[in-house]
Amino acid sequence: MSDIGNWNEAANELDAIVASFDEGEVSVDDLFVKLERATQIIETLESRLDATKMRVDELAPRLAKVTEAE
Amino acid sequence: MSDEGSTAETVHEVGEFYQLLTTQLESAFGRRHPHWVRGEIAKVYEKSHMYVDLVDAGSVSSDTKRPVLNAHCWATQWAPLKRKLASEGVTLTPGVIVNFYGYVDVYAPQGKIGFTITQIDVQGLLGDVARRRQELIARLVSEGLIDANKRVAMSPVPLRVGLVASPGTEGYSDFTGQLAHSGYGFAITLVKTAVQGEAAPPQIVSAIEALDAHGVDIICLVRGGGSKGDLAAFDDERVARAIAGCATPVFTGIGHTGDESVADLVAHTRAITPTKLGEEIAALVDGWHRRHVRVPAQRVLDATNGLLDEATEYVAERRRTMIFAVRDRLRSEQRHLGATRSQLLVHSRHLLSTTGQALASTRQLLGAYDPSKRLAQGWSIVTKSDGGVVRSLSDVALGDTVRVLVSDGSFDSTVNEKNGASS
Repeated sequence: MSDIGNWNEAANELDAIVASFDEGEVSVDDLFVKLERATQIIETLESRLDATKMRVDELAPRLAKVTEAE
Repeated sequence: MSDEGSTAETVHEVGEFYQLLTTQLESAFGRRHPHWVRGEIAKVYEKSHMYVDLVDAGSVSSDTKRPVLNAHCWATQWAPLKRKLASEGVTLTPGVIVNFYGYVDVYAPQGKIGFTITQIDVQGLLGDVARRRQELIARLVSEGLIDANKRVAMSPVPLRVGLVASPGTEGYSDFTGQLAHSGYGFAITLVKTAVQGEAAPPQIVSAIEALDAHGVDIICLVRGGGSKGDLAAFDDERVARAIAGCATPVFTGIGHTGDESVADLVAHTRAITPTKLGEEIAALVDGWHRRHVRVPAQRVLDATNGLLDEATEYVAERRRTMIFAVRDRLRSEQRHLGATRSQLLVHSRHLLSTTGQALASTRQLLGAYDPSKRLAQGWSIVTKSDGGVVRSLSDVALGDTVRVLVSDGSFDSTVNEKNGASS
């Protein structure tokens, strides 16, 4: 299950995992599976976020140049 | 020739007659007796000297009998008068009603009586110029032309500028300098024209028409400051009508602050100077650029940073939440196991204690039945040769050897006699 879908899908799944913890629905047997999945989603989201930030950092100065006169 | 003429009156030679005539005229209308004459200019011609045919105002040119005064102004007097007129924006053209001050002279070689102009009523002419200007404005208003160009749709980004100007002039430099320093890529299409003098109006009209056909976003009429005469071309009716009829917005930057030409009134937009016009056009483009490029770009930048911050915070918060949630869950399980373990220990100990006590009781009970204790008390145990305990007389027969156990050993004995309770 390496595919986490798009950002919103992944966030929804992550929220559901967190909610199941909040509600005490996670058994010890499921705990590792859910933790592993949550970790995978978080790392993938962070990776996507880092990649997006890098691209934004490249583009932002160009955009900022346009707005300099403001 | 009549008889009366030949006898009673003097006959003059032609030259003599002209001399007499000149003397008579000069005595009443000559240099020492100048007069003001008012009339409408029918024709005007200038070549160092200025020649003008003056007729009665409102007379019809087809009337062959209308009086004509052939007036002229010699170069020495015309040059300063011309400069004065030009500075006030007055040009002597057919149709202008003017007051000339001068005297009569006779030019015998051509048999002409002329009028030498020494002064021109400039104030009167100015009033006439102002009146004609107001009449022109009234005509433009009544024909709906005064606002015609103002109704022409404007390009939101007027980067293609048609320029009607005279290169090398201060007004031209001021205007183009503003566009050049704006930082925007204005494409200027210049049509060179005279911007003062009689040649200016037709050239300006041609330039406007050419640029209108060429296809530009706006047409700019630019002329730096000057006297009223210098700016007179921009009060010309032909120029005003060309602007009104133009399908392209016409902008004007003419003269100094306070100057307002008819061209300014008819134009789509007017600025008080060429510099100001350049500034205003640059500001139009800058305004568009700000609204449609810079502000949206800033919004995109802000939204991007906001979204990234929000996403970063979300992921970090979820990471923290997961760590705490799992830790809490594990601790909870550990606590549960610990409690279970403690309960098991308590139960085990209790069980052991209870069992020990039971064993002790049993042991104590068993002790009461220990045979050695009975032997020590003096009791003995009799067993047969096969080890069986003798419990009854019937277990033995006379003559049997039995073993008797006592507290400190045993001895054998022979049954010699049996004595039962019944016996």
